Amino acid sequence: MALKGLDIFKLTPKTNCKECGSPTCMAFSMKVAQGAVEISKCPHMSEEALATLSEATAPPMKTIKVGTGDAEYTLGGETVLARHEKTFVSKPRFAVRVTPDMDADAVLAEANKVDYDRIGERMHAEMVFVDCNGDADAFVETVKKVTGKGKVLVLSCKNADAIKKALDVCKDEKPIINSADASNYAEMVEIAKAAGVVLGVSGKDINELYDTTAAIEKLGFKDLVLDTTGATVKETFATTVQVRRACLAKDPDRTFGYPSIVNLSKVAPDDEAMQIALASVFILKYGSIIVMDTMNYARGLALFGLRQNVYTDPQKPMKVEPGIYPINGGDENSVVLTTVDFALTYFVVSGELERSGVPCNLAISDAGGLSVLTSWAAGKLSSTSVSKFIKEEVEPKIKCRKLIIPGKVAVLKGDIEAKLEGWQVIVAPNEAVQLVKFLKDLQAGGEI
Amino acid sequence: MTLFDRVFGGNDAVYGLTEAAIDKAIAEHGADKAVAFPHTAYSLPCYYAVTGTKVANLGELKTALGVVKTLMTREKRLNDAFMSGVATALCAEFIEVLKYLDGATPYEEPLYGHLADATIRELGVPLVTGDIPGVAVILGSAPTKEDAVALVKSYQAQGILVTLVGGVIDQCVEAGLNMGYAVRIVPLGKDVTSVIHVVSVALRAALIFGNVTPGDAANLMKYTFERVPAFVNAFKPLDDVIVACGAGAIALGFPVVTNETENIFRVPKSLIVQEDVDKFNATSLEARDIKIKITKIDIPVSFASAFEGEIIRKGDMQVEFDGSRKDCFELVQTKELTQIEDHKFTLIGKDFDEFEVGSKNAISYIVDVAGKNMQSDFEPVFERKFHSYVNCIEGVMHTGQRDMIRVRISKATFEAGFRAKDLAEVLYANIKNEFDAVVDKCAVTIITDEAECSKLRHEMAIPAYDRRDERLTTLTDEAVPVYYSCIMCQAFSPSHVCVVTPERLGLCGAVSWLDAKATNELDPQGPCQVITKERVIDENLGRYEDVDEAVAKFSQGALEHVTLYSIMEDPMTSCGCFECICGIEPCSNGVAITNREYAGMTPLGMTFGELASMTGGGVQTPGFMGHGKHFIASKKFMKAEGGFERIVWMPKDLKDTVADRLNKAAKEVYDIDNFTDMIGDETIATDPETLLEFLTEKGHPALKLEPLM
Amino acid sequence: MPFNGKSGKFNASIGAVEVGCGEKAIKIGGENVLPFYTFDAPIENSPKVGVMITDLGLENEPAGVKAYYEGCTTMADIAKKAAAMPGADFVCLKLEGADPNGQDKSVEDCMAVLREVVDAIDVPLVIAGCKNVAKDAELLTKASEVAQGKNAIILAAKEEDYKGIGAAAGLAYNQKVGAESAVDINLAKQLNVLISQLGVAPSNIVMNVGTATVGYGFEYVVSTMDRIKAAALSQDDKQLQMPIITPIADEAWNVKEAMASEEDMPEWGAQEARGVGMEVSTAASVLASGSNAVILKHPTSVATISKMIKELM
Repeated sequence: MALKGLDIFKLTPKTNCKECGSPTCMAFSMKVAQGAVEISKCPHMSEEALATLSEATAPPMKTIKVGTGDAEYTLGGETVLARHEKTFVSKPRFAVRVTPDMDADAVLAEANKVDYDRIGERMHAEMVFVDCNGDADAFVETVKKVTGKGKVLVLSCKNADAIKKALDVCKDEKPIINSADASNYAEMVEIAKAAGVVLGVSGKDINELYDTTAAIEKLGFKDLVLDTTGATVKETFATTVQVRRACLAKDPDRTFGYPSIVNLSKVAPDDEAMQIALASVFILKYGSIIVMDTMNYARGLALFGLRQNVYTDPQKPMKVEPGIYPINGGDENSVVLTTVDFALTYFVVSGELERSGVPCNLAISDAGGLSVLTSWAAGKLSSTSVSKFIKEEVEPKIKCRKLIIPGKVAVLKGDIEAKLEGWQVIVAPNEAVQLVKFLKDLQAGGEI
Repeated sequence: MTLFDRVFGGNDAVYGLTEAAIDKAIAEHGADKAVAFPHTAYSLPCYYAVTGTKVANLGELKTALGVVKTLMTREKRLNDAFMSGVATALCAEFIEVLKYLDGATPYEEPLYGHLADATIRELGVPLVTGDIPGVAVILGSAPTKEDAVALVKSYQAQGILVTLVGGVIDQCVEAGLNMGYAVRIVPLGKDVTSVIHVVSVALRAALIFGNVTPGDAANLMKYTFERVPAFVNAFKPLDDVIVACGAGAIALGFPVVTNETENIFRVPKSLIVQEDVDKFNATSLEARDIKIKITKIDIPVSFASAFEGEIIRKGDMQVEFDGSRKDCFELVQTKELTQIEDHKFTLIGKDFDEFEVGSKNAISYIVDVAGKNMQSDFEPVFERKFHSYVNCIEGVMHTGQRDMIRVRISKATFEAGFRAKDLAEVLYANIKNEFDAVVDKCAVTIITDEAECSKLRHEMAIPAYDRRDERLTTLTDEAVPVYYSCIMCQAFSPSHVCVVTPERLGLCGAVSWLDAKATNELDPQGPCQVITKERVIDENLGRYEDVDEAVAKFSQGALEHVTLYSIMEDPMTSCGCFECICGIEPCSNGVAITNREYAGMTPLGMTFGELASMTGGGVQTPGFMGHGKHFIASKKFMKAEGGFERIVWMPKDLKDTVADRLNKAAKEVYDIDNFTDMIGDETIATDPETLLEFLTEKGHPALKLEPLM
Repeated sequence: MPFNGKSGKFNASIGAVEVGCGEKAIKIGGENVLPFYTFDAPIENSPKVGVMITDLGLENEPAGVKAYYEGCTTMADIAKKAAAMPGADFVCLKLEGADPNGQDKSVEDCMAVLREVVDAIDVPLVIAGCKNVAKDAELLTKASEVAQGKNAIILAAKEEDYKGIGAAAGLAYNQKVGAESAVDINLAKQLNVLISQLGVAPSNIVMNVGTATVGYGFEYVVSTMDRIKAAALSQDDKQLQMPIITPIADEAWNVKEAMASEEDMPEWGAQEARGVGMEVSTAASVLASGSNAVILKHPTSVATISKMIKELM
């Protein structure tokens, strides 16, 4: 059971010394309770208090950092099983698989074609999963080819020599070595410790995975990820779900408190549609690194969209940049429609506008990332905010003086007209789906 | 003669006829002769529905008659009369079915007689949806054929299905009335026994749509009473047979309205004498509790939310009513059902065309409402909707409320013919539609006479507003029997539940206890549900078993305990819409409050945004709580920890907003003068140390209170 | 010490609803665990996959769909072919042409199409309206009558028109009522309560709790389904124990990712593969979140999702 902020506060020195970086002990305690700050940041905690608190505030699932620089990613650290309970924190990352008998450059080049921005987030396959099929030298050669390409490497190889050689090449990039199992874990822990990298653990079934992980923890090593891939899709799903559920249960079993690797190239080889389907399932159900044959737009548009949706903070809506978005070849003479910067609203409205085929400009003003009615109720979408935006941003660029406002804020019409001299304000229907007909009718009627 | 004598006499007469008819048929065709109505899976549907037995041949029909006889008990109790009525109806069915022997087609255009199952399935759907709001059974001959046609047409215009039995059919035919199933006027037959065909519709509807088990007479009657909105209009003279049939109708829950005055016995809500045939419609609808939906508001201009934001400029204005210069008001008043004639419109003073163009005038409108479930607490809820109703009229602008309203009507709208009666129509139609759960009758009075406006404003409206305000201030948590849940915000804060009490409105500041109550009455399945407060655990904390159960239920188990008056122990959760957040400030042993509009730092070391991220989302964070501005001066504000005396800091703007109420309450509760002067703000301190100095200097009471932790 | 996993089996379960009749009838729902959690307890009725066809024929369909139906000239042909699609458990006929903002076909014309389809196939049928509330009220009421005896799902009764469609489908003509709400657990529950109050038995109700395509506010869909299943199973909320059916095809093929042509977005690659990607991703996601049936249209999607279900069961 997580501690409440007040329980933590009671153990602080209550001096507001600010040495932790927070202005007050109360603020610090609240941040610790949220998991945003480590308790150890406070230099004045008594030993006793620290011991009580570290146990109680230790996250049930470890947060593991892999990669370096721009390609550094955080895995794990989840606190809930369903996003509505709080929020998911560490996005699953996609790895493309290469083997020594593939042309690694070509594989990377193909995957790197997908690299775009969606609502402020870069979308690309962040990792490469190097699968060893026996020949240690060939494996190391492949590792060389994919090192220094801005990807986190997952080295899947159980040959200690090969791993050591590969680490000589790439350990500075903080790869993962997905190498430990019941037979070799002691040696692999030494290798991982020596290189300062994260170790992947696998087992022939969930029990062996559990025992091996427990044994590795006994050796004092906790920078782990768990390869939950089984022999079949069913087993993979069962293991991945049970591992996550064990560590996030009311009475957590922290032995399973690590991120996961799910290798779809193994359980659904060469089947793109099936890999998309399964990747979707594992985005929702507890995959941390999802390995696929490649990345392309057929996969990425769906999977990145899904991931972005599911990993949003339920209390922080996704926002699009305010500005003028021309649609269907809209130019300075095309009608202006305005709505809010809530990403979902933007996507739905722009989709309908595109479908109408009518050239227009979609003017998005800053409404705090809230939906139309919510932002209106919160005072973030008002006749003042709209008219100010139109005057400052739209008037210098657009000659058309017809503005279409969302039907749900029809009540703003008069005020906006009063504040925007020379503009005619038209009220749109309440729902975006009605826009196509509405615009077509306006166009047919010669109004726009 | 008593009513019992008439029912029993009529019943006996019909029974005799039936027995004779069956015996005659058996004599002619033999007992094995098959008998059933066509196009039905239920043989004799009424008999089957009541007894669960399907009659297949004449012999069985004779046996069935024996069963009917057992219903004909002769004690002079209400139930005996009802059962004799049912027996009469079943006899009628037997007589009618004999007409269909050998595949005969006894009914010819325009008569329908028996209706097929398919028709009932088809009819059942609009009956369930209310598209057919009622079923009228008109029996006998109206005083004149004009009366007959007028009555039938009045129902037809309301979408009511009209069935005709007896002389009224010839009257309608003579008058050339277009009849038929398609226009919802169904002449059944000229014999009184043909009335069974509409009873058959009602009973088959119960079997098909109500899943009533055949033979389960109790549930059958419950279904027809609750779900089949039928009623009978019987013209005089009424003979005993018709009276007996009427008893059957009443047994099924269908009231009988008649203009017979001789030898009749009034039974409230069931057997109603209405001498004026013109009023049959209104009397019947009221007796059967049928409400007619208004689908289109009949005014000369459009009515839509798209016009809500229109502004009528001076130059475009035909006439203006201005509450800041003249006596104006808008008022909803609850009346008794008998005091109101539904849809009545009264104009006192000039109509819109009698005012000088562009002039400023007085206007007031009084909307009288009545209903069995109406409560005067709903009045302000309705009244607040007027702004939106009036604004949605094309070319009409409305601002303000109560006696501070302003209304402008544009020239274009005036020229389209918009007058006072249209304004009244808009108010009437919207109130009836939106609040149909509680409003049965509504009448609108518009007053433009200045003297009358002035008089009524001071004598009627202002006292009414004062009464309501008084009610609000005396409405305490202790004084009400129940609280309400509100889960309007669960769409984005899934586990949050607001418990709305009179002294603690929703934390968004928008939902008061009265609003929640009205929402619950109007939409019983909606976001506001009743929470009882019978099992108190700790009065001081505001901890109740009932409240905990409700919170657990409405949060789907995410929350188990909530206190109403404590910030430290299981405080109420927040969705994220809170106007304010308060949190404990340990140095001064008090609480600091910040509001959404204030973006700066607080002595807690956290801004509104930072606080919001911890307290929102339905998470319980002891020591912190979201709430509405209004709650600050409430006697229930963190009552368990000593109340609003603990407030040590607020942003200046917020302090100014609540100063009057807070100071008044502080004087009353703690005998402190100018309490807000002791409370810090951002111009005094945004760190706890400086704040503490200030509080010490001012002698803030929180410093002397018991420690919060 | 081996792993000691606690079972996530619940004491309550989702109601099972039978659709269709005869040998090809299917059952959806009935489970007492979260979606695909067969390691907690066996799931008796696996999720089902339906194939959507519309009365508008094939004109607007992607090439892969057209190719599959090649040679079909009548709606009966199309329906038979849909029923025979590998992986398909049922067929969904969408009467899209009825939309007043589209072709505005008369109810009679639509019923002629429905009759043709009803007569052509013996697999379970789902009948979907055109989404225009006023038109659907009439269309689906009539459709309930025309499809008498098929035990079809009528998709859907919404808050605005549930009375007519609910009464026709659930009471008068013994079909299954699809209760459609807009991605909100409370609205879903409220509609179930209202339809139940009409007299429709819970075993005759399935829910369409609303959907979106992945990337388009899909988090609301996930959370709504997660919460509905949690309430149904852990709180034993009877009013949320109806199984869920989710139409995917329309949504998924109507987003920019699936609609943008290769000329417009050359870097995005083959259009059809993108459409299939959106469709299978959305379908897999709603199934993982608790949907008991999905409605798809592309043969690759149907085959993939059906195979995925088999492998996970």
